[in-house]
Amino acid sequence: MRTLKFLAVALCAIFLCAAKATPVIMQFAATSEVKPFDSRRLMVQPRNADGSITVPPFLSDPVLWLRDEQQNLYSAMSKSMRDMGEKGWSAAFTLMLLSLGYGVFHAAGPGHGKAVVSGWLLATETQLRRGILVAFLSAMLQSLVAVVLVSGILLLVSGAAAVAKQAAGWLEVASFGMIAAMGAYVFWSGLKAFPRRQADTHSHHFEITNPLPAVHNHDHVHGPECDHAHAPTAKEVDGDWSWKRAAMLSFAVGLRPCSGALLVLLFAQSLGIYWAGVISTFVMGIGTFATVSVAATLAVYSKQLALRFAGRDTKWMTWLNFALRIGGGFTILLFGVLLLIASWQGLADSGF
Amino acid sequence: MNKLTFTILTAFFCAGISASPAFAHPHLWTEMRSQLVVSEEGLVTGVRVQWKTDKIYARDALDGFTKNADGNYSAEDLAKLTNENLTALSDYGYFVYFRFNNEKQKIGKAVDGQQIYTPKEGRLTLLFTVPLEQPIDPHKGTVSFKVYDPDFFIAFDYVNDKPLLISKPLAQGCSASLLPIPKDTKLDETRLMLSSKGKDWKPDEAEDFGGLFAQAVEVKCAP
Repeated sequence: MRTLKFLAVALCAIFLCAAKATPVIMQFAATSEVKPFDSRRLMVQPRNADGSITVPPFLSDPVLWLRDEQQNLYSAMSKSMRDMGEKGWSAAFTLMLLSLGYGVFHAAGPGHGKAVVSGWLLATETQLRRGILVAFLSAMLQSLVAVVLVSGILLLVSGAAAVAKQAAGWLEVASFGMIAAMGAYVFWSGLKAFPRRQADTHSHHFEITNPLPAVHNHDHVHGPECDHAHAPTAKEVDGDWSWKRAAMLSFAVGLRPCSGALLVLLFAQSLGIYWAGVISTFVMGIGTFATVSVAATLAVYSKQLALRFAGRDTKWMTWLNFALRIGGGFTILLFGVLLLIASWQGLADSGF
Repeated sequence: MNKLTFTILTAFFCAGISASPAFAHPHLWTEMRSQLVVSEEGLVTGVRVQWKTDKIYARDALDGFTKNADGNYSAEDLAKLTNENLTALSDYGYFVYFRFNNEKQKIGKAVDGQQIYTPKEGRLTLLFTVPLEQPIDPHKGTVSFKVYDPDFFIAFDYVNDKPLLISKPLAQGCSASLLPIPKDTKLDETRLMLSSKGKDWKPDEAEDFGGLFAQAVEVKCAP
């Protein structure tokens, strides 16, 4: 189990380095030769005779790899949707599989709240089970929002794509605002839990790990024999789980519908098989969930790992929890505010 | 406690993966205008398109280019971007589909490419002309074109304000119009038509299904 966690952290570090470093390395390598045009700048990628796109090897450019794989998957999805009228259920099955894959790839791009969810989990969560649950809730909610939004618009107006985009712009602003608020809340609750220097050596217990509703109040007096340092149990550490807060975070994240889902729905509608679009959207949500839960797993394991290192030392544990909460809260807050400003500016002329 | 510092760093590092905002977003939302290109003789020679893409695309496309003092980008950078885009778009037939009396028409290489960046909106507008291989005399039949992505990877929408322009007035008795988005009854007809076809049926002249539902521009002349 322990090896597994180390592996997770190591993999994550490797992936990050690969993602960040390769373009830099490539740039260095390219300065001496003729610099190739960065195909990430293109509207569409050059394509082969059969309509597919040649995907660059993952290691040479992970970002472009991700994007191109996504476009190929999406093209395949469109094809299977068009086939639906002719082939019926076999095409529907293909579509579901492709949607799942698309969801996995798509969620690796921006949006979908990986950063927010993992920041939140770093700050407040130690149980993987619940981290995954938050990821699940937000992914499903995001699918639901897309379906409700597009269905509503299709009922009301004809030029659906432009209206859907505009409405999604407003939801985006609302979503980012709520994310910023959640970040502020985590930050504030972290500040409240500032670890004070204890005058009384006896009160070395773990309220600190649980700065929100204090479930753990020691009023009893410790005798000298109580001078042991016991590591907190999982229960003590994770005291501030709340369904309400988890639901609020999922809502904040999920409120912003993803553009891929909107397009799939509109396309399905234009082919007269809206129901297939709805199912596909939810299957995409499951794919999204898979990716976000990887981020959630990394966050929770990283935190558990950190807590384990600090485990025998209450003082360090205190500071660690404080730092994670302040840092996590601040990150979410900053993230939310920056996105909010960007999307607010873009709203009059929304492009997401 | 170096280990501790290390782990905290690792933890936030990992969160950073997901936060990496430089990820390219694949979908494009495009607001467009089309200008029918008409020759001196009144022949339809092609179409000049104007595609205003979304902000995310502009961000990805311009990432790393240096801004001028006026907040815009150098003509050289934009020209390079335009040329590369047109090269890639040619693999897709520029998403422009011409028909003459319902027969698919061949198009040539795009010309007069131009890309404009509007700093205020933070969006790029791509303009280029797609010429018909053979100019068409609209008196001889119905000329039409559609702009759409059969895969729906790019959402093309006509703007409400002057969606269709014409470079030169057409001959007397001829007119060009942007047909409305097919309404439900029209869609139902198409669906009925589709359902009556066998499993191996393909749309004539390989028009994609996506195209059956896209907005068309039609040029017609009174007989």
